[in-house]
Amino acid sequence: MIAALVVVPILAGLALYLVPRSAEHLAKWIAVAIAFGAFALAISQYGAPDESLRWLSRPFAANFHVGLGKGPSFWIVLLLTLSTGCALMVTRVPRARDFIAQMLVLLGAMTGVFIARDLLLFALFWDLMLIPVFITLVAWSPTKSNATAWKYLVYNLVGGLALLLATAAYGIVQGTTDVIGVDPKSLATISDTWALWICLGFGFAFFIKTPVWPLHTWMPDTYADLPAPMVAIVSAVQSKAGLYGFIVIGLALFPGVMHAIAPVAFVLGLIALVYGALAALVQDDIKRVVAYSSLSHLGLIILAIFSFSPIAIGGAVVYIVAHGLFSAGLFMTVGEIELREDTRLLSRLGGLGGRNPKLAGGLTIVALAALGLPGLCGFAGEILILTGLYRAGFVWQTVVALVPVVIAAAYMLRVFQGVMHGPEHDDLPEREDLSLLEGLALAPLVIAIVLLGINPGPVTHLDTFTRSVAAASAQSTLAILKK
Amino acid sequence: MNTPQLVIPYVSADYAALVPTFVVAVTALVVIVADLLTPKKMRRAANVAVGIIGLIAAGVLALQGWGHPIAAFGGAFVNGGFAIVFQEIVIVAAVFSLLMSYALGREDQSGGAIALMLWSASGAMLMAGAANLMTVFLGIELLSLALYCLCAMSSRPGARESALKYLILSSTASGFLLYGMALLFGATGSVALSAFANPPASSALFDIGAGMFLIGICFKLSLVPFHVWTPDVYEGAPLPVTAFMSVVTKAGTLAVLARFAYAALPSPHGAAIMLPVWIVAALSMIVGNVAALAQTDLKRLLAYSGIAQLGYIVASLAGTTAFGLRYAIFYLGAYTFMNLGAFAVVALLSRDRDEGSQLTSFNGLGYRQPILAGAMTFFLLSLAGLPPTAGFTGKILILASAVNAGFVWLAALLVVGTAISVYAYFKIVRAMYAQTTGAPIRRAVVPASALPWACVALCAVATLVLGFYPIVPSDVLPLVK
Repeated sequence: MIAALVVVPILAGLALYLVPRSAEHLAKWIAVAIAFGAFALAISQYGAPDESLRWLSRPFAANFHVGLGKGPSFWIVLLLTLSTGCALMVTRVPRARDFIAQMLVLLGAMTGVFIARDLLLFALFWDLMLIPVFITLVAWSPTKSNATAWKYLVYNLVGGLALLLATAAYGIVQGTTDVIGVDPKSLATISDTWALWICLGFGFAFFIKTPVWPLHTWMPDTYADLPAPMVAIVSAVQSKAGLYGFIVIGLALFPGVMHAIAPVAFVLGLIALVYGALAALVQDDIKRVVAYSSLSHLGLIILAIFSFSPIAIGGAVVYIVAHGLFSAGLFMTVGEIELREDTRLLSRLGGLGGRNPKLAGGLTIVALAALGLPGLCGFAGEILILTGLYRAGFVWQTVVALVPVVIAAAYMLRVFQGVMHGPEHDDLPEREDLSLLEGLALAPLVIAIVLLGINPGPVTHLDTFTRSVAAASAQSTLAILKK
Repeated sequence: MNTPQLVIPYVSADYAALVPTFVVAVTALVVIVADLLTPKKMRRAANVAVGIIGLIAAGVLALQGWGHPIAAFGGAFVNGGFAIVFQEIVIVAAVFSLLMSYALGREDQSGGAIALMLWSASGAMLMAGAANLMTVFLGIELLSLALYCLCAMSSRPGARESALKYLILSSTASGFLLYGMALLFGATGSVALSAFANPPASSALFDIGAGMFLIGICFKLSLVPFHVWTPDVYEGAPLPVTAFMSVVTKAGTLAVLARFAYAALPSPHGAAIMLPVWIVAALSMIVGNVAALAQTDLKRLLAYSGIAQLGYIVASLAGTTAFGLRYAIFYLGAYTFMNLGAFAVVALLSRDRDEGSQLTSFNGLGYRQPILAGAMTFFLLSLAGLPPTAGFTGKILILASAVNAGFVWLAALLVVGTAISVYAYFKIVRAMYAQTTGAPIRRAVVPASALPWACVALCAVATLVLGFYPIVPSDVLPLVK
C-alpha cells in the first residue's frame, strides 16, 4: 500500500493526458482527490511495515524498498500530499490539464524520494522529480529563452549524477544499497577514503538541492518562473530532499565524514542564513523575497544537522515540516495576489488589504509563521534548533543565527505592509477577494501551521532510527572532542 | 590408411550453428522472389512481412542453441550464449528497422533494399560468433558491402555523398583491420583468436598487429578519434538505414572487440594493449556528447549520441571483468530499444521525401501529439541515463562495473559525459514542450503505414521493463577453441 503513494499519482498523471483538454475541472478534481487520498492513505500507514521487492542482486543488492516509518519520512509525506492537494485546488493556469498531469507526476516522484529505503531507489526518484519541473518551466515559463529551466536542470542533474556515482560506488564497496533506515551498527564499516568520496558525492547533490551559497543561483529564478501551485510544493518539499538526505544518509552512514566537513557546512549554512535574509530584504518581486527567505531558513536547518545535537536535529525535522507549511502557504497567497493584480512587484502593489480582507488575513498568518511568531509552527522549529545549537556549545554561531531570525520579521512585514497597506494604485485591476474555494485551499495549511505551532511534540518524537542516528552522531562528537 | 588431414571433419552440428545466419540470408533471397511475384500495390507490405517472419524464425532458431556451446568449423565460428545474445540483438534491431522501412528506397526498390538489409544483418550475426580472423573479416565485409548500397538508396541529394564517404572511409578501416590481421598471423602463425593468448616471446609484431586491428575496430564502432564519418553518413542515409546501422554494425563489431579483449589477449600483457581502447572510450563519451550539443538535426544528434553511448558500452568492458561484459551486453540491449524508439518517432514525423529529423519538426509536439511526445521524452530520458528507464539501470550497472574493475576515473568521466549529454537530449524535450510562438508549427505527418507506431510501442515497453527488471544474460563469457 505504501508503494501506491508513488505509483498511483504517477500513473494517474500520465492517464490525465487521456482526459479531453477541455475537461479541466474534471482533471483538477481527479488530481485533488488523488492528493488528499494519498494524504489519508499515508496517515493510515503510520508505522506500517516496509515493502520490498528485489531489483538487482549483482553487482550489488538493490531493492524496491519503501517505508513510511514514524519519523521524518512520514511527516514529510503528509506535508507533501497536503500541500499538493491544497495547491491543486487553486490551479488556474493555461492548459490546466497538462499542468495538473505534471503536478501529479511530481507528487509521485517526490513521495518516492522520501519513502525510498534503498539508495538506488532514492537516486532514481531524485532524478525523476526533476523532469516534471523542467517541463513545467519550459512550457509555462514567462520568458522565451528558457534560461531558468536550463539552469534548474543543469544544476540539479549535475548533483543527481554525483549522487548516482556515489550510489554505485557505495553499492560496490558495501555490497548492498538497501541501507536507508538500517541500524548503522549492523553495516560493515567502509574504508575512510571510500567513505570520504562517497559522502562528498552525496553531500554535493544535497547542497545543490537545498541549496546553499554558492550553489543557490538556480533557485530564485526557478521559484520566480514556476506557476504558483508548483512552486508551492517545490519549495515546500523538493528543497527538503537534500536536508532529509543529510539526516537519513549522511548522519546514518557517514558520521565521521560529516564531522570532518562540518566546519565547511557551518560556514556555508551561516552564509546562506545571513545572505538569504539580507537579499530578501531588498527584493522587489515578492516571489523572490520568499525564495531568498527560503534560502535563509534552510541555512538554519543545515546548521542544525551539522551541530550533531539531538535536540537540534529533532528541531530540524520540525522546521522542515514547518517551513514546508508556511512556504507553501506563502507561495499560494503570492499566487493569489498575482492573479488579482497581474504583478508581483512591491513597488507596484499596495493597499490590497482594504478590498481583500480574507487574502490579507491569510497572508498575515503565513507571514507570521514565517517570521517565527510563538504559537505558530516556525517558532517551534527555530527555538528547538537554536536551543540545540547553544547546548551543543556553538555559542557565537547561535548568536549569528539569531540575527536573520530578526531580519525575517523585517522582510516579512515589508511584504505585508507593501502589499496590503498604503495607498491603492488606481492603475491596477480591482478583483474579488478570496473565493470560498481559495479560502478552503488555504485553510488546511493554516490549521496545520497552528497545530504544529501549539503541539510540535509528535513530530519531535523521532522514530528509533532517527533517534539512534542522532545519538550516534552526538556520541561521535564527544569522541572527537575527547581527542 | 586414412589421411585424416584431408578429411573435412565437419559434421551437421557445425552447420547447425550457422542455421540462424543462413535463415536470414535465405530470407533475403525469398524477399527478392516475393518482390517479383506480388502485385505492385502490396509489394512493400509483403516484402516487410516476409523479412520479419524470416528474422523471427531465425531468432527462435538461434535460441535453440542456448546452453549448448559449440565451436563449429574447427573453432572458426563459436556458438554459445555470447554469440546468441548478440545475434538476438541484431535480429531485434533488424525487425524494428524493417518496421520503419516505408521510406527505404523507391517503391520499386523495396525488395532489393530489404534483401540488402537482411544480408547485412546476417553479416553481423556471423561476426557475433566469429572466433577466427577469417570469419571476422567475412562478417565485417558482408555487413559493410550491403550497407554501402543501402546508404545510396535514396533520392535525396546527400545520399550518394553519404554512401561514397562511407565506402571510402570504411574501406580504409578495413585496410587497417586486414593489415593488423596479417601481422597478427605473422606473429602467431595462426588465425584463431584462441591461439593469440600465448604469443611468441618477441611480441612487438603482435603488438603492432593488435594495435592496427583495434584501430580498424574502433573505426567501425565510430569511437573518437575515428568517428568523423559517422554524422555525415547518418545524415545522408535513409532513416531506416541509419537506424539499422546505429545498432547492427555496433553490435556486430562490439562482439568482435569483446571476444578479442576477453579471449584472445594474454592476461598481463593484454591490459596494456587494451588501455588505449579504454582511453578512446573515455574520449568518445566526452567528445561525442560535446559535439551533440550543437546539432539541430536529429540524425546527426543521434549519431554523436551513439558515439558517446558506444563509449559507455566499451567503458563497461574496461578491466575485462565478467561483470563488465554482462553489463555491456545489457546496455547494448537497452541502447537498441531506446535508440530505435527515438528513430521510430522521427520516422512517424517523416514523409517520403521529407524526413522529419530537423529539430524544428518537434516544435510543439507536446501539444499536438502528447502520446508521441511522451514516448520521445521517455526514449530521451533513457538515452540520457535518467530514470525510470533501462538507460538509468544500464548506466548504474556500468558505473558499478567500472568502479569494481578499479577504473574509477572512467566512471567519473562517464558521469561528466552524461552531464554534458543532458543538454543535447533535453533540447528536444524543450522543443516539444515549449510554448512556440514564432515558427509555424508543421502538422505531424503520419506516414502511409502505421508500422512505426508498433516500433515505438514495443521499444517503450522494453525500455521500461528492462529498467525495472534488468535481465542480465548469464553465461555469456566468450568461448574460443
